[in-house]
Amino acid sequence: MDQHQHLFDVGGTHVSRLEDLRLIKGEGCYAADWNLPNQAHASFLRADRAHAKIVSINVDAARKAKGVLGVYTGEDAVRAGHVKPLSMLTFAGKDGKKALIPERPTLAHGRVRFVGDLVAMVVAETELQAQDAAELIEVEYEDLPVVVAAESALAAGAIQLHDNVPGNLSFEQEAGDAAATTAAFAKAAHVTKLKLDCTRVAPNPMEPRACLVAYDAGSESYTVHVPVQGINMMRMQLVAYAGVPEDKIKVVARDVGGGFGQRSIAYPEYCTAMMAAKALGRPVKWVSTRSEAFMADSHGRANYITAELALDKDGTFLAMRLDWIADLGAYLHPAGPVSPMRNPVTCLNGVYKTPALFGRWRVVLTNTAPVSAYRGAARPEIAYTIERLVDEAAAQMKIDPAEIRRRNFIPPEAFPYKTPTGSVYDIADFPGVLEKALKLADVQGFAQRRAESEKRGMLRGLGLSTVIENSGAGMFPKDEVLLEVATDGKVTAYSISHSQGQGHETTFAQIIGDALGIPAERITLRQGIAEKGLIGNHTGGSRTIVGAGTVCHIAAKKLIEHATPLAAEQLGVEPSQVAYAKGEFQSKDSDKKITLGELAAKKPLSVTGEGKFGSTFPNGCHIAELEIDPQTGVTQMKSYVTVDDCGTVINHTIVEGQMHGAVAQGWGQIFGENVVYDPETGQLLTGSFMDYAMPKAGWISDIHIADHTTFGTISPLGVKGMGESGCTASLGALTNAVMNALRPLGVPPLDMPLTAHKLWQAITSAKKGN
Amino acid sequence: MYAFQYRKASSLKEAGELLVKDADAKPMSGGMTLLPTIKARLAQPTQLIDISGLSELSGIEVKGGELIIGAATRHQQVASSKVVRDALPALADLAAHIADPQVRNRGTLGGSVANNDPAADYPAAVLGLNAKIITNKREIAADDFFQGMFATALEAGELIVRIAFPLPKKAAYAKFPHPASGYAMAGVFIAQTAAGVRVAVTGAGSGVFRWSDAEAALMKSMDPTALAKLTVATDDLNEDIHGTREYRAQLVKVMAGRAAATIAGKN
Amino acid sequence: MAKIKMTVNGKQCTGEVEDRVLLVNFLRDSLNLTGTHVGCDTSQCGACTVHVDGRAVKSCTMLAVQADGADVVTIEGMAKNGKLHPVQQAFTECHALQCGFCTPGMIMTVAALLKDNPHPTDDEIVHGLEGNMCRCTGYLNIVKAVKQAAGLQHK
Repeated sequence: MDQHQHLFDVGGTHVSRLEDLRLIKGEGCYAADWNLPNQAHASFLRADRAHAKIVSINVDAARKAKGVLGVYTGEDAVRAGHVKPLSMLTFAGKDGKKALIPERPTLAHGRVRFVGDLVAMVVAETELQAQDAAELIEVEYEDLPVVVAAESALAAGAIQLHDNVPGNLSFEQEAGDAAATTAAFAKAAHVTKLKLDCTRVAPNPMEPRACLVAYDAGSESYTVHVPVQGINMMRMQLVAYAGVPEDKIKVVARDVGGGFGQRSIAYPEYCTAMMAAKALGRPVKWVSTRSEAFMADSHGRANYITAELALDKDGTFLAMRLDWIADLGAYLHPAGPVSPMRNPVTCLNGVYKTPALFGRWRVVLTNTAPVSAYRGAARPEIAYTIERLVDEAAAQMKIDPAEIRRRNFIPPEAFPYKTPTGSVYDIADFPGVLEKALKLADVQGFAQRRAESEKRGMLRGLGLSTVIENSGAGMFPKDEVLLEVATDGKVTAYSISHSQGQGHETTFAQIIGDALGIPAERITLRQGIAEKGLIGNHTGGSRTIVGAGTVCHIAAKKLIEHATPLAAEQLGVEPSQVAYAKGEFQSKDSDKKITLGELAAKKPLSVTGEGKFGSTFPNGCHIAELEIDPQTGVTQMKSYVTVDDCGTVINHTIVEGQMHGAVAQGWGQIFGENVVYDPETGQLLTGSFMDYAMPKAGWISDIHIADHTTFGTISPLGVKGMGESGCTASLGALTNAVMNALRPLGVPPLDMPLTAHKLWQAITSAKKGN
Repeated sequence: MYAFQYRKASSLKEAGELLVKDADAKPMSGGMTLLPTIKARLAQPTQLIDISGLSELSGIEVKGGELIIGAATRHQQVASSKVVRDALPALADLAAHIADPQVRNRGTLGGSVANNDPAADYPAAVLGLNAKIITNKREIAADDFFQGMFATALEAGELIVRIAFPLPKKAAYAKFPHPASGYAMAGVFIAQTAAGVRVAVTGAGSGVFRWSDAEAALMKSMDPTALAKLTVATDDLNEDIHGTREYRAQLVKVMAGRAAATIAGKN
Repeated sequence: MAKIKMTVNGKQCTGEVEDRVLLVNFLRDSLNLTGTHVGCDTSQCGACTVHVDGRAVKSCTMLAVQADGADVVTIEGMAKNGKLHPVQQAFTECHALQCGFCTPGMIMTVAALLKDNPHPTDDEIVHGLEGNMCRCTGYLNIVKAVKQAAGLQHK
């Protein structure tokens, strides 16, 4: 019986979610569901071209159109001072140089820089009137050359997007030991080199963005209803972008329809709505269409990596070297460039004891939509890079892919393990994870299954990836959770970490219920309640269970501690003579007792727990088995095994659900999702679900999910986080499986997206070559 | 969405007259293509003349060796009709794989054929079976009806009333759906009749077309292997980010093979 | 402007709308039935699915005036007398929802699917869900819920 067993007892098996009831009845409250009396509606005119000077904008006809209340352009944005979004890229890079941050007026001023860039906003009595009027705005443009690919943007003579960013290079950094790495490569018996594109994808949470902003002239304050991952993160950015004091902005959010990183940004549309709400003295509502979402929501990934692995003759890794180009699009989202600069460095050696590492990273600007975090936020990219290299090296050196990993794993006895780039992996058992996965995937029987596929004319492949990622650390000084006890003994908990589908209302209630010894059903979590003034991180980076989740436990313990003397006073005994169990305080030497609810009836009972946490390191092994039809190039999933070490599991059902969704997103990225811009014009070619292939029902089949737990040492609960590991591990496992199927035909290393079309071409040209 | 006037036609005659009177009015049946187009502000009709409820456009029957289906018959009705399932199961199967259930509950045969989307499914069956398109003015043979991308022989105010499908000995449809839109990247309808074999291809080119080499080969032997040595001419096929001409040619061949296998009972 | 009248969740409703107003906007804005969601503008995602005269349709691809005189059921009308519809029950039991945004449309689609085909095969379930998109679940638990609901409905 381990120290965390109690959590399993409380509901670590399979518990239905407490938030489900309202959601399945259509009683959720998403951003577009908010309405206020006398609200007006906004519609945006967006740039229809990727790069141009704005010569003139004529809004006269729009202003006169039926129902129009106001029309705003870049002039208004500049006048309001809405030009500088917050940047979290504040640390020094190569040679101590800081990042060059471009300005971004909330409405484009003087120049548009990507298709979908905001040009003007119309506010009218109805949404349809606003749309009609937006079309009457006449913009005269002077087209400029367009640069879409990050490598082209860096090339000499490339058109420059921003005056203050020469060569479109916003930031450059290096990490690792250049000399040691060069030396290791010099003596290597074998070097594997790959150029890997982690393609640009659209996060596409199902709920489109929306905002409803009200301005109160009396208090000069704004109420902003928007989808968030945490209200504080949103407010911090609105404060910076709109130049309004923190106490003058209240962010409100309830249900959020998916996030995946896309929600953690204060977009210019929100600030523009603030400007209009103030100017008009009426609440202003805007609801994005999906077409706008494809153009102007943050995109994800878009990292282009040249990677080399040096090995000795036995397949021992000697060094790895990276040249990493991060395409951030036309402007920098607040945290957008931070993910690819920080997360890959944190886990640069992956699960391996590679002694020498070196990388160079560049943040590049292009005429495309700005990029920010997408499920994993560059953790999947570094894991994918390493796992592709490892598999390719194994194939080149004719070493079994599992064996080459065994030879290079950081051994279980080495933890806590300090990596060459300074991270401390707290605890893991990589060999244990791998062996369990190999067994569950019946790797032994693969050769026979492959032969059977061959008989049917199909190509079968098996691929694995063994990965690690950082989770837990946050940018806010601490995470707070407030607990309030009602007179009926029910507990309301408040957190800043905001679910976008992860099920916090259930998981947090389980943790608090466990600590208080009361059923989870008696605990209600409320998220996004600004009035409570809590400090805390948003939900992102798989950190919530480590941060706010752990603080739920701390707060519950604190509640008992805080209430014990109060109970003693009521019971007329010394605090030391009072014992707490299952919602009741009892005097040790009599039958006298008082419940939490009774105590709260005497005097309001509440506590705020807090905690600050560093990084912990969830890890796992995924094994994919696929079949490819050489006639059409279509790939079918035959089996998929995940063995993850995410520390203590609070709720298996939710963990499995997270895994399903993340693996599906990994599948989507590998086999079809890809935001494509015309390289010449910068027009968006995948602007709707008609062209952007997001997974549908049946695309992934049943996933075999298992744990191999070591308890994390960062949180007293032993948790590590797991919302993103399905993406982090699946990109490599799926691609390695495809390469495993195709390599025997002589197909060279391929890059995502591995569309049916691309695989058919690869198979066909390999066959022709033979 | 631009403003327009919605009008429910009370008769076929009235619908025809309204459309002739106003060149910018559009007939609407299921609206499954038209409404999204209007929503995207890609069309600006003055009026939408709703013909979906007209009794003249309804009904499914077999008569004189033909399956006759009213133009306003919804895809779901075609897919689940016992008459269609018994007489021409390939058409029911085709209808059951158009778009998705919700769209099949609204979209209609006449609407799809009149729209002639180059990636729509029905045109393949209409051309493959050499169906007759009966309008409020005349009868048009399938061979004369389809005139390339979104273009048909229909004149202003001319509406499809019903379509008569000659019953084949055997028929089958195989489709490779686009992974995102679900439209055909290649859809092949094969009909085996007393007169011979017809092979109609949708999705791969700028409009539905017949693949005559395959017709000749399958006439000799209704077997997928009969197609093995054939190539699909790529000149007129589509090429875009989703696939090259060569890939579409390959899909046409593979889908034709699958449809032939179904007819040959080899699936 | 058109005057329209329809039965929504068993209640007679009337309204006056522009001809171009979509059914989903009438339901959400005029009747305040915000359980029906809009997730795309190209008729793909199915978040807006409701029942019109007993059949599942995408209410973002139908004009409100087209539903004049129709019998409309939305997600708010699925639970009866405090009892969840078997499909709603199965969705929570199988963890078939995460963010919940696609869920109302999914439930309406599945309820219609099971009405037509009470014992669908796996292939039929997947085929039946082609008009609904979910970004959170990978659909695995949704398929599971459909099977569970098929069982529940025959208890």
